[in-house]
Formats: sequence, structure tokens, C-alpha cells
Amino acid sequence: MSTLIVIDQSPYGTWEGREALDMTFSLAAFDQSVSLLFTGAGVNWLRKAQTTSKIEQKSVEKNISAAPIFGVKAIYADAKACVQYGLGLDNMLAGVAMAENSAELLHEHTHTAFAG
Amino acid sequence: MAATSLQNYTLVITGAPYSSQAPQTALLFARAAIAAGHTLDRVFLYGDGVHLASSLSAPPSDETHWAKEWARFLKDNAVPGVACIASALRRGLVNESEKKRYELPASNLLEPFIIAGLGEWVEGTMASSRVIYFHAGG
Repeated sequence: MSTLIVIDQSPYGTWEGREALDMTFSLAAFDQSVSLLFTGAGVNWLRKAQTTSKIEQKSVEKNISAAPIFGVKAIYADAKACVQYGLGLDNMLAGVAMAENSAELLHEHTHTAFAG
Repeated sequence: MAATSLQNYTLVITGAPYSSQAPQTALLFARAAIAAGHTLDRVFLYGDGVHLASSLSAPPSDETHWAKEWARFLKDNAVPGVACIASALRRGLVNESEKKRYELPASNLLEPFIIAGLGEWVEGTMASSRVIYFHAGG
């Protein structure tokens, strides 16, 4: 079993992305193969230097950086969405792989779960 | 239908009743699945979906009471219904033991729902042949 968790919502407007991330870490904690795909507005999760104190939310940067430590296999960003949101390897968190073909990525996994 | 095509489903509901269609779509799916001979491994409530397990919702009498409908279905078919503990605590859905642990004034978990961790969802994904998600959408 291999699972791809897809996050397509920006990090702070809704809670769904955070709960999808909890699902990801939970699978990893049970030694299940799991990867993350950020697409659409979701690629904003991967932006460097997010400052969130004024909206009284915790930055998601630490969570993303911790993903490999918790055993998350890979973090993918949809390449087209990154272009749309002005994200490149220079202003993105380290350790993210660009996915040129998200459809192919979905086929490579036996399970897929979308954030709300 | 050949026996080999029968599935064992885990259903995940993340949309709340009365603000999304998710719980009723999931219930219609669940009834149809059982009627067609499939089995349900478990139903997992996650995110806003945990509101479905509240014993305190009181919709007008001419509207369907989705929490009660779901509770009846789970009992009739002996299907476990599990609300994610992290989602539940954030949203004010607690059983007796969590009420005591956090010194809260009340508990409101509707039987036969139970509260447990995301490990229940992980187990569901491993134990069942299909996992179907019912989101609020939009």
C-alpha cells in the first residue's frame, strides 16, 4: 500500500490542509509508505519565510520540514501551480521535488486522499 | 454479481451535517453498499465530520436527524463508527473520559460512536479494499 496525500488548499484559510498533514504523519508513524503532493493554492505551503504571528496561527514551515524525519517518503509540488503562484526552488522550502505530471504521480500510488 | 467483486469499505466523512451534504451522501452510499452485499469495515469521522457524532444536535422535527440516522445504521449493521480524537476535542465533541480528563462541564458523544486516534483510519485503509472520502466540497 502506498498513499499520496494531496493538499490543494492554501495553508491558513482553512483547517483541512493541517488535518491532511496529520493523516500523512499518522500513516508514516504506522510505517506505511506515504508521500505529499501540493497542488493549486496548496503550493503556498512550501513558501519560505512564512510569518504568521499576526494571524495567531503556527507557521506550517516546521511541519513540512519535519516530514522527512517522521518518515514521509517524498514531498512533491505541482510544477504548473508553482509557476502560477510565483514559486521556484529559490523561494521554496528544501527537499521538495517538482512534479511535472501529477496524473502520473496519482497512478504510482495505490491510495489517494485529498484534503477536505 | 460475482463474489470476487464484493468490496470491504472504509468510509471517511469530513463534512459536517447541516453545512454540507457529506454525511447524507455517505449514508446513502453505505445503505446501497450493504444492500448490494458489500461490507463496511468502519466509518471514520474526521475534521468537521465529527459533528455527526454529537448527541446535542436538535434539528427541526420536519428535517432528517442525520446523527440519529447514522447511529441507527451503525447499530443495525454492527459497523464501528469512530470520531477522530484530535478533530473532536478541537470542536467540542467529547466522551465521558475526555470530559473528566479536561474537566469539561459536559460530554456529548452519541452512541454507538466512539472516539479514537487516527490509527483507526490507518487500520481502516489497511483492512479494507476501498476507502471512500466524503468531503464538504466547495
